[in-house]
Amino acid sequence: MNKISTQEFIQQKFAEYYKQNLSSVQPPTSLDKREFAFLLFKERTMLRHKGFKTTEDFRESLLTVVPSDVYYSSAYYEKPEEEMDAKGWIGADLIFDIDADHIPTPCNKEHDTWTCKNCGMSGRGAKPEKCPKCAGQKFDDVSWPCDTCLASAKEETIKLIDVLDKDFGLSTREMNLAFSGHRGYHVHVENETVRTLDSIARKEIVDFMLGLGLEPTLHDFEKGESPKLEDAGWKGRIAKGTYEFLLTVTQEQLERVGLKKKTATQIIKQRERILESWEEKGPWKMLKGVGPDSWKKMIQQAINRQSVKIDTVVTTDVHRLIRLGNTLHGETGFLKTGVSISEIEGFDPFKHAVAFKHDTVKVDVSSAPQFRLGDYAYGPYKNEKVELPTAVSMLLLCKGTAKIVEETVHVQ
Amino acid sequence: MQKLDLKITELENPEYNRIVERAEKRIEEAVLYALVSDQTRNNEIEIPSFPIAIMIIAAANDGFLKRRYALAEAKRAYSLLKQENKSKLTEIAQVFNWKMKPLQAETTMPKTAPADFIMHFTDYLKNTGNLRESKWKLVNRTMLNGEVHVTRDEAARLLSEEVRAHIEKKLELKIGFTLPPMVIKRAETLKQLAQVKRGQIRQEEMPKETTIEAFPPCIRQLYNSAQTGRHISHIGRFALTSFLINSGMPVENVVECFRPASDFSERMTRYQVEHIAGDRGSRTRYIPPRCDTLRTHGVCPGMDEICRRGVRHPLTYYRKKLRLVKAETPATTARA
Repeated sequence: MNKISTQEFIQQKFAEYYKQNLSSVQPPTSLDKREFAFLLFKERTMLRHKGFKTTEDFRESLLTVVPSDVYYSSAYYEKPEEEMDAKGWIGADLIFDIDADHIPTPCNKEHDTWTCKNCGMSGRGAKPEKCPKCAGQKFDDVSWPCDTCLASAKEETIKLIDVLDKDFGLSTREMNLAFSGHRGYHVHVENETVRTLDSIARKEIVDFMLGLGLEPTLHDFEKGESPKLEDAGWKGRIAKGTYEFLLTVTQEQLERVGLKKKTATQIIKQRERILESWEEKGPWKMLKGVGPDSWKKMIQQAINRQSVKIDTVVTTDVHRLIRLGNTLHGETGFLKTGVSISEIEGFDPFKHAVAFKHDTVKVDVSSAPQFRLGDYAYGPYKNEKVELPTAVSMLLLCKGTAKIVEETVHVQ
Repeated sequence: MQKLDLKITELENPEYNRIVERAEKRIEEAVLYALVSDQTRNNEIEIPSFPIAIMIIAAANDGFLKRRYALAEAKRAYSLLKQENKSKLTEIAQVFNWKMKPLQAETTMPKTAPADFIMHFTDYLKNTGNLRESKWKLVNRTMLNGEVHVTRDEAARLLSEEVRAHIEKKLELKIGFTLPPMVIKRAETLKQLAQVKRGQIRQEEMPKETTIEAFPPCIRQLYNSAQTGRHISHIGRFALTSFLINSGMPVENVVECFRPASDFSERMTRYQVEHIAGDRGSRTRYIPPRCDTLRTHGVCPGMDEICRRGVRHPLTYYRKKLRLVKAETPATTARA
């Protein structure tokens, strides 16, 4: 019996997992054109510019290295193992990343914690810019995946798929959807026509998703056939978003988005009439004293509601390294799990992305909020030793909020 | 060229003098006015003068000359394409492998802006990268099922962009044979002409000292964040560094700007700054991203008066504001 560090324990578990499930780890299409990267457990550095010719070579390397995280390039290269300048870029899949970090969620990330590296002060929620006590700017932070965060991310993902389908005409066969293994979802679009789009073209796709730079007048606002609920594309989204906004908006909210008090009162008073007007021409021209400028401010709110909150950097980067499907996430011990688009509604990451399904492990938890895994709730924990199902312990260990209790570990 | 039975080595032959001269005129006009006008109706001269022009420019191997010539030819293409009918434009689009087809009256979605064609969004995006008007932004287009609606005139404009890209690509080709001395000489002369013209375009040389007062809002915010050691996103760091370098700040001082950061590493910062300045790696000096890119990544804090005057690049803002600042007060300069 030897002493073993928490990190060694995690790596050992990862090794066991990969050994038992090797055939489930599928390399990406065009394997020999991709760059691979392994994040190393011990050194915490990225082993980059790896290339493989065959699935067997790749899997063998996975078993030898046992990395904490496995990435591959969305790009296709002539020579994936060369330095960046000499790789010979051929093209890249179109990637979308939706992460709870980029979405305002109803839970306000209350489950996340931060600790100032300088003075040790700690708090809940997203980490502040400066420590309120010592103004330090370096923090240790722990972010938790929670049901609310992931439900928001799922909602955005469903919006994304809808836009890709209806506006961009991409079939669900060309889209690969996956749970990222932490707090969000990835959508990969693999087809010939998008492959050669450069970063500027991809930026336009990002702006389309965000509704950035959208000018209502170019969607016939104020002229011709004004936006209606049944219209396709952004024109229809302007109408739908405005309708939804007006459905619940309060006087204060209207004033906060920049409307004059009188205008706001007018809108609230006539709400019923406005909502009914959508059955015909819409409300754009029916209210006296509510001019184009006021409508544009409300339309901006509509755009914010209808936009898809994607990570802008991931989509525009044509050399992006992205986590490989069916590999373990080093921060959670969950799997990046493929999800069939028709089944996304029923997908439960805390059930379907669990990798370690057997046995229990005893851990010493410093602190953890209450969380759910599978059908049970765990925590909150504070400085206590608990014996938990392996997947739960692995999450705590990977998050760095628990240590392995040494006497329970047996190593030959 | 083969059809005309013209051999490279024969270019010096007086018989072909008129073709070579026409080629030279094409380039000259492009350099000076970004135009290629119809000079001669004689197709036997006009048609072969184009590949000869391409050859001369490829030989000159000057980036500005190449871009300028491609632009001029694209403008000419646009003026010609504008006059073509729908079926001809469809044919031309097919030559470039575009998925574009005329929009039938009955299949027009009700209540959408008038359009003559539908084209696949990838073809559309590949040819709008240089077009800045907001009507070209994909988010402002009618797009259904991957197909973007465009008018006949817009289709002509996009095809001319394709022509430009096509010519630029042609000009990048390495010439695998030796050109006659006469062609090389002409190429050299034109290269000099291009350099003079470029000098004129860039007459506003950047001053030696960096003037903080003239920073655009985005750079000012990034600069303040750096000075107070706040976290800056990757793209923000890139924008700030490349901006400072291009404003004439020495590498040494740019590195200093980042010192207040809590995780400052002099070695890493210097490496990255030198890379952006073109002292390392690919040897290209990077310029900051343009305004709309900064907007996409949330770096733009919102426009001010000067931004609204049609500014599309942080450095353009800087040059404009410099003039204003200089007119007002003697400027304070950044920590040297």
